[in-house]
Amino acid sequence: MNFNVMFDEEKCKGCTNCMRRCPTQAIRIYKGKAVIDNVRCIHCAECIKICPYEAYSTESVDSKIQQSIKYKIAIPSTTIYGQFPKGTEICNVQNAFLKLGFDYVYDESWAAELISKAIKDKINENKEIRPLISTNCPSVVRLIKFRYPSLLGNLISLEDPMEIAAKLARKRAKEIFNCDDNEIGVFYISPCPAKLLAVTDPIGPNKSSIDRVVPLNTIYGQLYKEVKKQENLCFSNPSLKGIMWAVSGGQSKSAELNNYVSVYGMENIIDVFDEVENGRLFHIDFIEALSCTDGCVGGTFNVENPYVARNNINYIIDHTDENTLQNDDLDKYEEFKNKGIFNLVIADEDEGDFKKHKINIKQAVERIDKIKDILALLPGLDCGSCGAPTCYAQAEDIYDEKSKLIDCVVLRAKLNENKKEEK
Amino acid sequence: MDLLKRLSYHVLSNNFIKAGKGSSDIKSNLKSIGIDSDILRKIAIVCYEAEMNIVIHSLGGNLHCDIYEEKIVILTEDIGPGIPDIELAMTEGFSTAPDSVRELGFGAGMGLPNMKRYSDIFEINSSIKGTNIKMTILL
Ligand SMILES: Nc1ncnc2c1ncn2[C@@H]1O[C@H](COP(=O)(O)OP(=O)(O)O)[C@@H](O)[C@H]1O
Ligand SMILES: [Mg+2]
Repeated sequence: MNFNVMFDEEKCKGCTNCMRRCPTQAIRIYKGKAVIDNVRCIHCAECIKICPYEAYSTESVDSKIQQSIKYKIAIPSTTIYGQFPKGTEICNVQNAFLKLGFDYVYDESWAAELISKAIKDKINENKEIRPLISTNCPSVVRLIKFRYPSLLGNLISLEDPMEIAAKLARKRAKEIFNCDDNEIGVFYISPCPAKLLAVTDPIGPNKSSIDRVVPLNTIYGQLYKEVKKQENLCFSNPSLKGIMWAVSGGQSKSAELNNYVSVYGMENIIDVFDEVENGRLFHIDFIEALSCTDGCVGGTFNVENPYVARNNINYIIDHTDENTLQNDDLDKYEEFKNKGIFNLVIADEDEGDFKKHKINIKQAVERIDKIKDILALLPGLDCGSCGAPTCYAQAEDIYDEKSKLIDCVVLRAKLNENKKEEK
Repeated sequence: MDLLKRLSYHVLSNNFIKAGKGSSDIKSNLKSIGIDSDILRKIAIVCYEAEMNIVIHSLGGNLHCDIYEEKIVILTEDIGPGIPDIELAMTEGFSTAPDSVRELGFGAGMGLPNMKRYSDIFEINSSIKGTNIKMTILL
């Protein structure tokens, strides 16, 4: 376990905010407390953001596990550069990680720059499938699996920068420390809980190269202290093209695309994916869909407001010397591409899970007919008081015997009135 | 085989607020039935194009989705003015959509060709009294 999205039952008042907000209707309120259906959850963290009582929180890494790893590699997410006040010596950031006890730092932005090139090439080489969809946001990938399986084939078959950074970092570290793979631990400093999902439940058939996902906000305090210390020598800069990935639209810009759609926020993404399914976006090359406000800078583990973070990143892009020391992996794009390092294979079993199972149409039609019969009895207010987000969801739950008609407050009130009249 | 279920929608001419509601409802019904996603994608495309053609080019009509155990049939009927030259209308890129509609992003002239391409059986009849289209997608 890396970190957990912890749910504090004591703090939960059963207010239904999270349940209504959830884009996949994964939350129900049972007996006055929120319950998440893990099968439906896409780790978008909307519930964490909206909960007024802070019932959801994240438990950070167990420090004992960290001790047992011989060589610890940190992979700071691109959003980290948006978290520091303007004018902060950005080239100190990677050095600060070493001061925190990591042995090696591999900036995610380097991998992001490489993937930007790969996206550009993929779009030019593969003209068959349109639009291609970014794999960077695990919540979006999960949404596609869960709600838009017909678009699985539109996912661009490239790993996300986190994964590529981890692969390349491992390779580097083995050379530098002359050690075995199992002596290395790769820590991703994450802007959001969804990245954990990408590690524990990757889209491809291969195991993730990340070992642990550390919420950015849990180490930010110590990190910033180190960054501010003047004695630290400049270590290395992020890739300016790479850090664009932290904000919505940045991938496309960094890949120098001109025919793309950039969208954030689950509701908006759902609108766009509906259009793709209807065949209206065949003329678009690329869709950059990110779950959080303004992209990854909107992730719950960031400390800075997403709009301010965007401004900070723009400032860095404008005021940093492109030529300061980076990583020479950036010059090896062709080599990596030819070796197929960037390629993502979408697991067959995934498609099997979501697509290929034979259904009994007759039974399925009977099921939705019965659900609609139940729906007709419900008031259609979608008030959420029963503990389900909509009357339709409640009708499904009743059909599946997870809930009862009488759980509806409106029906209950009517029943009570009728009883009174009888008396 | 027996018809298991029919979903029907009234489609209004020139109403871009409600446009697409029928196909979107058909899509969500078929999703909850659990239709294979590749097939669903085809149905989504043909349904949407057919519905939009009623909105844009006709005086109004109906959209139906018939569910059978072995196939899905999408039917449309409208009340005119009909398509004078079907072969021409079926040509990729041919469109009589006015500029006002093109500004909304429609009128690429790919609707009918795609409806044919994505359905297993495509049947069309048209006269000045109206256009009927029947698209069968095998499961
Ligand atoms: N239901 C209809 N009623 C009358 N004319 C139609 C209808 N559907 C299509 N058409 C005619 O066929 C042409 C081509 O249709 P289509 O391929 O869908 O392209 P588009 O809708 O982009 O114009 C339309 O421009 C219109 O002239
Ligand atoms: Mg059309």
